[in-house]
Amino acid sequence: MDPDALAKAFVEHYYSTFDANRAGLSTLYQDASMLTFEGQKIQGSANIVAKLTSLPFQQCHHQISTVDCQPSGPAGGMLVFVSGNLQLVGESHALKFSQMFHLMPTPQGSFYVLNDIFRLNYA
Amino acid sequence: MDQADQVAKAFVDHYYSTFDTNRSGLGNLYQDQSMLTFEGEKFQGSSNILAKLTGLPFQQCQHGITTVDCQPSGPAGGMLVFVSGLLVVDGGEHPLKFSQMFHLMPTPQGSFYVLNDIFRLNYA
Repeated sequence: MDPDALAKAFVEHYYSTFDANRAGLSTLYQDASMLTFEGQKIQGSANIVAKLTSLPFQQCHHQISTVDCQPSGPAGGMLVFVSGNLQLVGESHALKFSQMFHLMPTPQGSFYVLNDIFRLNYA
Repeated sequence: MDQADQVAKAFVDHYYSTFDTNRSGLGNLYQDQSMLTFEGEKFQGSSNILAKLTGLPFQQCQHGITTVDCQPSGPAGGMLVFVSGLLVVDGGEHPLKFSQMFHLMPTPQGSFYVLNDIFRLNYA
Protein backbone atom coordinates (compact mmCIF):
# COMPACT_ATOMS: atom_id res chain seq x y z
CA MET A 1 0.00 0.00 0.00
CA ASP A 2 1.34 3.43 -0.81
CA PRO A 3 2.46 5.33 2.33
CA ASP A 4 -0.01 8.19 1.98
CA ALA A 5 -2.90 5.73 1.61
CA LEU A 6 -1.64 3.79 4.61
CA ALA A 7 -1.37 6.94 6.73
CA LYS A 8 -4.86 8.01 5.75
CA ALA A 9 -6.26 4.55 6.57
CA PHE A 10 -4.54 4.57 9.96
CA VAL A 11 -5.83 8.05 10.79
CA GLU A 12 -9.39 7.15 9.86
CA HIS A 13 -9.23 3.97 11.93
CA TYR A 14 -7.62 5.69 14.91
CA TYR A 15 -10.07 8.56 15.21
CA SER A 16 -13.20 6.56 14.42
CA THR A 17 -12.17 4.09 17.15
CA PHE A 18 -11.41 6.98 19.51
CA ASP A 19 -14.81 8.53 18.86
CA ALA A 20 -16.84 5.32 19.06
CA ASN A 21 -14.99 3.06 21.51
CA ARG A 22 -11.92 4.56 23.18
CA ALA A 23 -11.04 1.31 24.97
CA GLY A 24 -10.65 -0.30 21.54
CA LEU A 25 -7.47 1.75 21.02
CA SER A 26 -5.51 -0.68 23.23
CA THR A 27 -4.66 -2.95 20.30
CA LEU A 28 -2.82 -0.04 18.65
CA TYR A 29 -0.30 0.41 21.51
CA GLN A 30 2.29 -1.90 23.06
CA ASP A 31 4.39 -1.88 26.25
CA ALA A 32 7.04 0.27 24.58
CA SER A 33 4.52 2.86 23.38
CA MET A 34 4.75 6.44 24.62
CA LEU A 35 2.05 9.11 24.72
CA THR A 36 2.61 12.76 25.59
CA PHE A 37 -0.83 14.29 26.08
CA GLU A 38 -0.82 18.05 26.64
CA GLY A 39 2.66 17.72 28.13
CA GLN A 40 1.87 14.75 30.37
CA LYS A 41 4.05 11.66 29.64
CA ILE A 42 2.54 8.18 29.76
CA GLN A 43 4.11 4.84 28.81
CA GLY A 44 2.66 1.45 27.91
CA SER A 45 -0.66 0.42 26.40
CA ALA A 46 -2.53 -0.02 29.69
CA ASN A 47 -1.50 3.38 31.06
CA ILE A 48 -2.17 5.10 27.74
CA VAL A 49 -5.65 3.64 27.40
CA ALA A 50 -6.38 4.46 31.06
CA LYS A 51 -5.53 8.09 30.29
CA LEU A 52 -7.58 8.25 27.10
CA THR A 53 -10.64 6.51 28.55
CA SER A 54 -10.61 8.80 31.59
CA LEU A 55 -10.57 12.10 29.68
CA PRO A 56 -13.30 14.34 31.08
CA PHE A 57 -15.94 13.96 28.39
CA GLN A 58 -18.39 11.25 27.40
CA GLN A 59 -18.45 11.76 23.67
CA CYS A 60 -16.33 13.48 21.10
CA HIS A 61 -15.88 13.78 17.36
CA HIS A 62 -12.54 14.32 15.60
CA GLN A 63 -12.66 16.05 12.22
CA ILE A 64 -9.37 15.83 10.33
CA SER A 65 -8.07 18.80 8.32
CA THR A 66 -4.57 17.67 7.25
CA VAL A 67 -2.58 14.42 7.22
CA ASP A 68 1.14 14.38 6.32
CA CYS A 69 3.39 11.34 6.42
CA GLN A 70 7.04 10.41 5.89
CA PRO A 71 9.03 7.19 6.32
CA SER A 72 11.04 7.42 9.54
CA GLY A 73 14.15 5.35 8.78
CA PRO A 74 15.51 1.86 8.13
CA ALA A 75 13.25 0.10 10.66
CA GLY A 76 10.26 0.62 8.35
CA GLY A 77 8.47 3.10 10.58
CA MET A 78 6.17 5.89 9.44
CA LEU A 79 5.59 9.34 10.86
CA VAL A 80 2.06 10.73 10.58
CA PHE A 81 1.29 14.38 11.39
CA VAL A 82 -2.36 15.34 11.78
CA SER A 83 -4.24 18.55 12.40
CA GLY A 84 -7.95 18.93 12.92
CA ASN A 85 -10.87 19.89 15.11
CA LEU A 86 -12.16 18.10 18.19
CA GLN A 87 -15.82 18.63 19.02
CA LEU A 88 -16.87 17.63 22.50
CA VAL A 89 -20.57 16.81 22.81
CA GLY A 90 -22.23 19.60 24.75
CA GLU A 91 -19.62 22.26 23.92
CA SER A 92 -20.49 24.98 21.42
CA HIS A 93 -16.98 25.55 20.03
CA ALA A 94 -14.69 22.87 18.58
CA LEU A 95 -11.11 22.67 19.87
CA LYS A 96 -8.26 22.64 17.40
CA PHE A 97 -5.52 20.05 17.80
CA SER A 98 -2.31 18.72 16.27
CA GLN A 99 -1.04 15.20 16.80
CA MET A 100 1.89 13.14 15.61
CA PHE A 101 2.14 9.34 15.49
CA HIS A 102 5.21 7.18 14.87
CA LEU A 103 3.95 3.86 13.53
CA MET A 104 6.14 0.77 13.60
CA PRO A 105 5.46 -2.45 11.69
CA THR A 106 4.35 -5.60 13.52
CA PRO A 107 5.41 -9.14 12.48
CA GLN A 108 1.80 -9.75 11.38
CA GLY A 109 2.08 -7.03 8.73
CA SER A 110 0.16 -4.39 10.63
CA PHE A 111 1.34 -1.27 12.53
CA TYR A 112 1.35 -0.19 16.15
CA VAL A 113 1.83 3.27 17.64
CA LEU A 114 5.30 3.59 19.20
CA ASN A 115 5.15 7.38 19.70
CA ASP A 116 2.08 9.59 20.10
CA ILE A 117 2.17 13.31 20.91
CA PHE A 118 -1.05 15.35 21.21
CA ARG A 119 -1.44 19.12 21.63
CA LEU A 120 -4.44 21.39 21.56
CA ASN A 121 -3.89 24.53 19.47
CA TYR A 122 -5.30 27.38 21.52
CA ALA A 123 -6.51 30.57 19.85
CA MET B 1 13.72 18.60 32.67
CA ASP B 2 15.48 15.36 31.75
CA GLN B 3 18.41 15.10 29.36
CA ALA B 4 16.30 14.32 26.28
CA ASP B 5 14.13 17.36 26.99
CA GLN B 6 17.26 19.49 27.26
CA VAL B 7 18.58 18.21 23.92
CA ALA B 8 15.20 18.89 22.30
CA LYS B 9 15.02 22.40 23.72
CA ALA B 10 18.59 23.16 22.63
CA PHE B 11 17.85 21.92 19.13
CA VAL B 12 14.65 23.97 18.90
CA ASP B 13 16.39 27.13 20.12
CA HIS B 14 19.21 26.62 17.61
CA TYR B 15 16.91 25.75 14.70
CA TYR B 16 14.59 28.72 14.99
CA SER B 17 17.26 31.29 15.82
CA THR B 18 19.19 30.13 12.73
CA PHE B 19 15.98 30.22 10.66
CA ASP B 20 15.23 33.74 11.85
CA THR B 21 18.71 35.22 11.36
CA ASN B 22 20.38 33.20 8.59
CA ARG B 23 18.11 30.71 6.83
CA SER B 24 20.88 29.32 4.62
CA GLY B 25 22.72 28.33 7.80
CA LEU B 26 20.16 25.54 8.21
CA GLY B 27 22.00 23.57 5.50
CA ASN B 28 24.19 21.64 7.91
CA LEU B 29 21.15 20.36 9.83
CA TYR B 30 19.91 18.31 6.85
CA GLN B 31 21.48 15.51 4.81
CA ASP B 32 20.76 13.84 1.44
CA GLN B 33 18.09 11.56 2.89
CA SER B 34 16.35 14.30 4.85
CA MET B 35 12.71 14.94 4.04
CA LEU B 36 10.66 18.10 4.47
CA THR B 37 6.91 18.38 3.99
CA PHE B 38 6.06 22.09 4.03
CA GLU B 39 2.33 22.84 3.94
CA GLY B 40 1.80 19.58 2.08
CA GLU B 41 4.64 20.05 -0.43
CA LYS B 42 7.37 17.36 -0.29
CA PHE B 43 11.13 17.95 -0.61
CA GLN B 44 14.08 15.62 -0.23
CA GLY B 45 17.74 16.34 0.38
CA SER B 46 19.51 19.24 2.02
CA SER B 47 19.88 21.42 -1.11
CA ASN B 48 16.23 21.08 -2.17
CA ILE B 49 15.07 21.74 1.38
CA LEU B 50 17.28 24.80 1.70
CA ALA B 51 16.12 26.09 -1.68
CA LYS B 52 12.53 25.89 -0.44
CA LEU B 53 13.21 27.56 2.91
CA THR B 54 15.39 30.36 1.52
CA GLY B 55 12.83 30.88 -1.28
CA LEU B 56 9.87 31.49 1.06
CA PRO B 57 8.15 34.76 0.17
CA PHE B 58 9.28 36.98 3.03
CA GLN B 59 12.47 38.79 3.99
CA GLN B 60 12.26 38.50 7.74
CA CYS B 61 10.52 36.29 10.20
CA GLN B 62 10.45 35.57 13.89
CA HIS B 63 9.37 32.32 15.49
CA GLY B 64 7.98 32.34 19.05
CA ILE B 65 7.84 28.85 20.56
CA THR B 66 4.87 27.93 22.76
CA THR B 67 5.33 24.18 23.37
CA VAL B 68 8.11 21.60 22.83
CA ASP B 69 7.45 17.88 23.40
CA CYS B 70 9.94 15.12 22.71
CA GLN B 71 10.15 11.32 22.78
CA PRO B 72 12.84 8.79 21.81
CA SER B 73 11.91 7.26 18.45
CA GLY B 74 13.35 3.75 18.69
CA PRO B 75 16.55 1.67 18.83
CA ALA B 76 18.48 3.81 16.32
CA GLY B 77 18.79 6.57 18.95
CA GLY B 78 16.54 9.05 17.18
CA MET B 79 14.39 11.70 18.83
CA LEU B 80 11.02 13.09 17.89
CA VAL B 81 10.42 16.76 18.64
CA PHE B 82 6.95 18.31 18.35
CA VAL B 83 6.73 22.09 18.42
CA SER B 84 3.92 24.60 18.36
CA GLY B 85 4.26 28.35 18.23
CA LEU B 86 3.73 31.67 16.49
CA LEU B 87 5.38 33.05 13.36
CA VAL B 88 5.57 36.78 12.56
CA VAL B 89 6.52 37.54 8.96
CA ASP B 90 7.97 40.88 7.76
CA GLY B 91 6.79 42.61 10.96
CA GLY B 92 3.17 41.74 10.19
CA GLU B 93 0.43 42.55 12.68
CA HIS B 94 -1.14 39.12 12.98
CA PRO B 95 1.11 36.25 13.96
CA LEU B 96 0.55 32.94 12.20
CA LYS B 97 0.21 29.83 14.33
CA PHE B 98 2.20 26.78 13.34
CA SER B 99 2.99 23.22 14.37
CA GLN B 100 6.12 21.37 13.31
CA MET B 101 7.64 17.99 13.99
CA PHE B 102 11.28 16.98 13.61
CA HIS B 103 12.82 13.51 13.70
CA LEU B 104 16.44 13.94 14.76
CA MET B 105 19.00 11.21 14.14
CA PRO B 106 22.44 11.04 15.76
CA THR B 107 25.57 11.73 13.69
CA PRO B 108 28.88 9.89 14.25
CA GLN B 109 30.30 13.16 15.59
CA GLY B 110 27.83 13.12 18.50
CA SER B 111 25.49 15.72 17.07
CA PHE B 112 22.03 15.39 15.43
CA TYR B 113 20.69 15.98 11.95
CA VAL B 114 17.07 16.34 10.83
CA LEU B 115 15.90 13.22 9.00
CA ASN B 116 12.20 14.17 8.96
CA ASP B 117 10.62 17.63 9.10
CA ILE B 118 6.91 18.36 8.72
CA PHE B 119 5.54 21.93 8.97
CA ARG B 120 1.91 23.07 9.04
CA LEU B 121 0.29 26.42 9.67
CA ASN B 122 -2.67 26.21 12.03
CA TYR B 123 -5.39 28.35 10.51
CA ALA B 124 -8.16 29.84 12.63
